[in-house]
Amino acid sequence: MAKPSETGMEALHHLKSTDPPALLAPSPTLSQTARTASQHLFSCLKPYAPKSPFDQLLTDGFDAEQIWQQIDLLSQPLLSTLRRQVKHLEKHPEESKIVLKKENEFLDGERKILEEKETKRFDDDVDDDDMDMDMDEFDDEEEEEEGGRRESEKGESEDESGEMVEGKGGEGIEDKFLKIKELEEYLEEDEAREYGLDRKKKKGELKLEEEEEEEEEEEDEEEEDDDDDELDDEYEDAEENARYEDFFGAKKKTVPKRKSSLSNGSDEDSGLNDDGAVEKKGGLSTHEKQLEKLQSEIEQMEKANLEPKTWTMRGEVTAASRPKNSALEVDLDFEHNVRPAPVITEEITASIEDMIKQRIIEGRFDDIQKVSSLPSTAPKEVKQLDENKSKKGLAEVYEEEYIQKTNPAAAPISFSDEQKKEASILFKKLCLKLDALSHFHFAPKPVIEDMSIQANVPALAMEEIAPTAVSDAAMLAPEEVFSGKGDIKEEAEVTQAERKRRRAKKKRKFKAEAVKRMTKKARDNTALLNHNEGE
Amino acid sequence: MQTGEAPASMEVEAIPNGLGIQSGSLPLKPKFEPLKAHEMSDGRVQFRKVSVPPHRYSPLKKAWMEIYTPIYEQMKVDIRMNLKGRKVELKTRSDTPDVSNLQKCADFVHAFMLGFDVVDAIALLRLDELFVESFEIKDVKTLRGEHLSRAIGRLSGKGGKTKFAIENATKTRIVIADTKIHILGSFQNIKIGRDSLCSLILGSPAGKVYSKLRQVAARLAETF
Repeated sequence: MAKPSETGMEALHHLKSTDPPALLAPSPTLSQTARTASQHLFSCLKPYAPKSPFDQLLTDGFDAEQIWQQIDLLSQPLLSTLRRQVKHLEKHPEESKIVLKKENEFLDGERKILEEKETKRFDDDVDDDDMDMDMDEFDDEEEEEEGGRRESEKGESEDESGEMVEGKGGEGIEDKFLKIKELEEYLEEDEAREYGLDRKKKKGELKLEEEEEEEEEEEDEEEEDDDDDELDDEYEDAEENARYEDFFGAKKKTVPKRKSSLSNGSDEDSGLNDDGAVEKKGGLSTHEKQLEKLQSEIEQMEKANLEPKTWTMRGEVTAASRPKNSALEVDLDFEHNVRPAPVITEEITASIEDMIKQRIIEGRFDDIQKVSSLPSTAPKEVKQLDENKSKKGLAEVYEEEYIQKTNPAAAPISFSDEQKKEASILFKKLCLKLDALSHFHFAPKPVIEDMSIQANVPALAMEEIAPTAVSDAAMLAPEEVFSGKGDIKEEAEVTQAERKRRRAKKKRKFKAEAVKRMTKKARDNTALLNHNEGE
Repeated sequence: MQTGEAPASMEVEAIPNGLGIQSGSLPLKPKFEPLKAHEMSDGRVQFRKVSVPPHRYSPLKKAWMEIYTPIYEQMKVDIRMNLKGRKVELKTRSDTPDVSNLQKCADFVHAFMLGFDVVDAIALLRLDELFVESFEIKDVKTLRGEHLSRAIGRLSGKGGKTKFAIENATKTRIVIADTKIHILGSFQNIKIGRDSLCSLILGSPAGKVYSKLRQVAARLAETF
């Protein structure tokens, strides 16, 4: 470029002169002028940006996005310094007095930008930049730089979307009192000092910074904060001795001015500022404010306690006493006393089947070993007590004992008859079975006559389970029950004559028997006597 | 003075003297033949008399030959029945081998009179170490009226089975005559039998006595 600054200025002028509707339609000449204008601006800003990789803005054949990225790379590092400067200006409102007018103009311009909302917003930039540039020419070199910086700040701010940060105090703060560099140094010193001071002052500063940030965003967000105003004043009071004495003697003058500046800055703050001022007059310290906060918290908690508790905090809650499906939202935890059922997966079944197959191959089945009921030792011979009169005389018993003691071989084998009988019966049975197996012709089972006692009682009485059919065929027949002759009579029925007859019969029988016995006795006696005499 | 040498000198003196009786030596022991039963009590005959209770009169008459034969032939003791005095009299004979035969026969007859069977009482004749012990129920425990009757019933058992059980287990013979109890057997067995009977009198149930008897019988059998 031959004269880059001039062509750039011309381009800016040209852009400014175009009608807004014309900007809507894309035209190559307009875009070319826009590119040259932005190049010019870029080169103006370049000296102030220390880390920018581009020496000049490359616009030939570049997309709007790419151009924008280049500008962004340049402008990003400068933003923080701009912000700091703005904050400082806010702390020192007397400096802003000077730029008040310029501010207003600038803000109007910004409002215009907001209202119009064009795709390319360089028009107002051009206006303001022109103004700045004019100012720079009139002022000192330093101020020129500052102005340039301010320009850059402004340009950056308007390039970005909706951020009007620098509108506040970044405009025309050239004063014999305020120099930007001095401002920065002082700020750093102050921060260091403040960290050594009380916590509350630091907090105040923090809150003040917050307030400043909020104020920066006022126009967009329209938020109010009473505390900000209060803290602002409080901060002012605390720092009074340190701050103003160094620079200025005036104290409270700045407060309403500051307020008015704020109100000028934004419409919304004004009403609330008055309200905040009333409370501020009480002069509450941070500690008291904390206490107040705690109190409010306590009140809240007490109120919550008086109310009925939520169902999760109550004891036993049935389904009826809690809202529907509320248990689903709450993460309930309770003990499971049973192990959860194992999820049967393919792997588990496969593993089990493998185990089964392996076992079959090995032949290792966990069969229960049958415990043999045979005792390991021979059963001890239990001598049964014989309750019958012994057939042997005592002499024989002792005789046998003696023989056993002296000559065991000669002793007769003592074998009880019952055991013999049982053994013979078992053997007979066995022989019968073996014969039946070995012979080809049929041998019928031998009939064993067995005596059984027939109880003359119907089957129903003996069994407890009701039989399906009760037959009294097994019962004894009446003639078996009673084998009597003649007419049977009860004792009561018997007549006197009958009784006498019975008695006579008995006597006759007895007499006959007596005679028989006597004769038998006589016979025996004679036999005995004969025997005796014989000897 | 003559401590060690005196007896030696005495012996030395006695031997050469020989049979001559001297003041220092003792007379020789006389040798006698054992006395016969007949000669005992200065050669007079020995008697034993056993009275017969009335309830044993007819059984005695029935079993007389069984009593008489072994006494007269094996024991060589004279036996006769004094009908008037209701006594059985026993007398030694000249050829009675042993003095104790007469006593044995007397015991045998006495046992029969107590109530034992001849077959059982014969053991007294054959074995030396058998005895008869008698005691009464009142010696064990004073019982009156129904208690006494129940005790007697307990002793016998149903059909006499308890009594037989004791008899078989202890190799004894028991006779329960009203309140008198007689046990025939060897000394050890008598003791066991007596213990069982006493426990029954005192009131223990039969089952308990049986279990004790079983143990005792097993122990007795093991001794062989």
